[in-house]
Amino acid sequence: MALLDVRGITKRFGALKAVDGVTFQVSPGQICGFIGPNGAGKTTTMRVCSTLELPDEGDVLIDGLSVLGEPREARKRIGFMPDSYGAYANTTIHEYLDFFARAYGLQGAARRTTLARVIEFTSLGDLTEKYIDALSKGMKQRLCLAKTLLHDPPVMILDEPAAGLDPRARVELRELVKALAQLGKAILVSSHILTELSEMCSSVVVIERGQLKGGGTVADVVRSVNRATTLFLRALAGAEACERRLLETPHVLNVRREHEGVVFEFDGDLNAQAELFAQLAASGLQPVELALRDTNLEDIFLSLTEGKLQ
Amino acid sequence: MNAVAARSLDDRLNPILVKEVRQALRGRYFRALFWLTLGVATLVGLSIVANSVRSPGAQVLGREFFMVMFGCLSAAVHAFTPFSAFLSTSAEWDENTHDLLVLSNLRPRQIVYGKLCSALVQALLYYSTFGPFLVFAFLLNGVDLAALGAILFVSMASCASLTLLGVALASLSAAKAPRVVLMALFGIGLVMFWGMSLGMSSGVVYSPQMLREPEALVMLAGTVVSILLAGAFFAAIAVARLSHEEENRSSGLRVLSVAIVISALAFGAWMSWGHSAPDFAWGLQVAALFPLAVAWLFFLTEPEPLGRHVRLHVSRNPLLAALSAPFLPGGGRGALLMLLHMLLAAFGALACMAFGPVDPVRRSAAFFGLLGVYAYAWIYMGIPAGAASFFVRSLRGRVVTRMGIVFLLPVVMLGPLLVGLVLGISGLSDPLHPFNPATALGALMDSREMTKLVELALAALTLLSLALNAPRMIQGVREVLAASAERRAKPVERS
Repeated sequence: MALLDVRGITKRFGALKAVDGVTFQVSPGQICGFIGPNGAGKTTTMRVCSTLELPDEGDVLIDGLSVLGEPREARKRIGFMPDSYGAYANTTIHEYLDFFARAYGLQGAARRTTLARVIEFTSLGDLTEKYIDALSKGMKQRLCLAKTLLHDPPVMILDEPAAGLDPRARVELRELVKALAQLGKAILVSSHILTELSEMCSSVVVIERGQLKGGGTVADVVRSVNRATTLFLRALAGAEACERRLLETPHVLNVRREHEGVVFEFDGDLNAQAELFAQLAASGLQPVELALRDTNLEDIFLSLTEGKLQ
Repeated sequence: MNAVAARSLDDRLNPILVKEVRQALRGRYFRALFWLTLGVATLVGLSIVANSVRSPGAQVLGREFFMVMFGCLSAAVHAFTPFSAFLSTSAEWDENTHDLLVLSNLRPRQIVYGKLCSALVQALLYYSTFGPFLVFAFLLNGVDLAALGAILFVSMASCASLTLLGVALASLSAAKAPRVVLMALFGIGLVMFWGMSLGMSSGVVYSPQMLREPEALVMLAGTVVSILLAGAFFAAIAVARLSHEEENRSSGLRVLSVAIVISALAFGAWMSWGHSAPDFAWGLQVAALFPLAVAWLFFLTEPEPLGRHVRLHVSRNPLLAALSAPFLPGGGRGALLMLLHMLLAAFGALACMAFGPVDPVRRSAAFFGLLGVYAYAWIYMGIPAGAASFFVRSLRGRVVTRMGIVFLLPVVMLGPLLVGLVLGISGLSDPLHPFNPATALGALMDSREMTKLVELALAALTLLSLALNAPRMIQGVREVLAASAERRAKPVERS
């Protein structure tokens, strides 16, 4: 069962339809990238999923609980990290986390254990007595993630968590998110840094002008955008021989040499693809590498969206 | 206290209280004002004592000393502390922590309660700091124990109430600009309250015998109850504002508004029967109109449709659903509640006076006078809100309607007067012209009748207001019944 089940939500602000009938699901252990241009409705959708906005139509189920019918229960299962996180003045990291642990109803030994666990997970151990105002952007993001983890929510909604981070902090954050997915959490993450998302997401949802433009596993979306699959072939016979052979093969398109092999697109179904592999193996080309090319979220994004703002 | 008990207590403390006290004690605002207040009090106190050689006696010195000390204390607990609560609530919007609080397990009332407790802890620090000075004033015979107790009791209640007002005002808008305006108005209001508190305290200090009169205790109790009721009203506003969109922001405030009318009736009945003071019965209802008018302003201009979340919680029982209609959000249902307030206040006051030593003519004048005051509320609030309900659908439209209502009353009250003064028309230069609600109030107080023409005009305009609001009142009840029927038609949901 999907832990996050978004069912046809629509949200209007006056005459503006910020989100228009968006539907998607995120399952346990899945990291779903939520992509779209500025003003596409990503943050609004995430706020609806987090119970911070009420949908005008549709509903969102968090672990089976409706954000409309049981918002308080649903909230206990959500960890929301907003793009503009909040921090209190004159407060140390430990006091900040202690406050939110209390606010989530954690008491006594459970609170102390949870704080220690979260601080260790986010590697904030050496900074606990430091004032939040003095933290770097990366450390503040870690702190915000730590706060989000305090009540151990099964669903995590991260709005632009990597925005403004340096490359090292981004890598560290990515590893933390992956570790959370391995713990079985369903994670919805939005970002403008598509290479960042492509390295951690198992599925994507593309939104533009409030409408869903595509969604599913990265491979599914690539297939829906471009029916052709991009493959790379390297053989002992050389790139030229490979190119000649491929140009005579049905369903093969756009063959081009790259490094010591060739990159080509294949628009056949899975049976045709299996037949192609068999033919290449039997062709005398002596293939040593036949691989699917890494999917490129930027290509998907550009194919699916028109760059229009609302 | 042993360690286990201390930990248990620590766990039970409101998280907002813990955070706010930590922040306040570390912040520059509290520390600077604390030392400033203490410094000023010490310097002025010392100068009074140093000049005491010229003073005619210890009692005069004691009174002067007390008033200076109480002046400083009052500034701290009636101005600095409530203002600090305003800033703290305002900071939840500015520092983007409001959403984080909403998403936690904290309920809005816990947030408001935490802010109040934190302010009271700060006030307690001021009280304990000024304690020795006040004791010194007492030892100088500057203030007797009863007066000191009464002043401190009312001062603490006022501090709590003003703090809740600060929290309520800061929670009214997430946008910074309106909050800055509210902050300025609140600051001015606090300074005015400070002056008023000094005036009242000096009255008690310089005429302590007034506390020995039989009615004094009743008046004191009435004052404290009114202050605390006002505080509860502000708290309800703050809770409503800090609740999120999907929550029912209106019902708590609506229930409290009825509680205000009933409390005023109960106190009026007590005064009428127990103390032979029947005028309290209607007087308190008139006083209650001020907070009620603020509430009506919002109730009457709420969006009409029931929210999807509220619909899910309407009673399945059609009778209970219909009875709950005035307490559910929506402008039409707000008008229904206003009608309920009016009937409860007028007939309740009549019942309270029925058993007191009052002649039937006076009773009848009070009844119709109270209806007259309510008639003005229907005219100035009901007509614009009812008319706007036919075409206003957006939040901006509702805000404009509210602003229109707020400005309508002073314009209509002062407009004819200004025209009369400028153009020299003597008929218009009387401030008690028929457009002024004080006309009905004056008639009520003096047991005199208003002119027939004014009565007819009031009745006609009230009927117009009721007619304008009737369709949405009916629709409001229908919608609640439809929601109840929907719920009956569906299987029982998981709780």
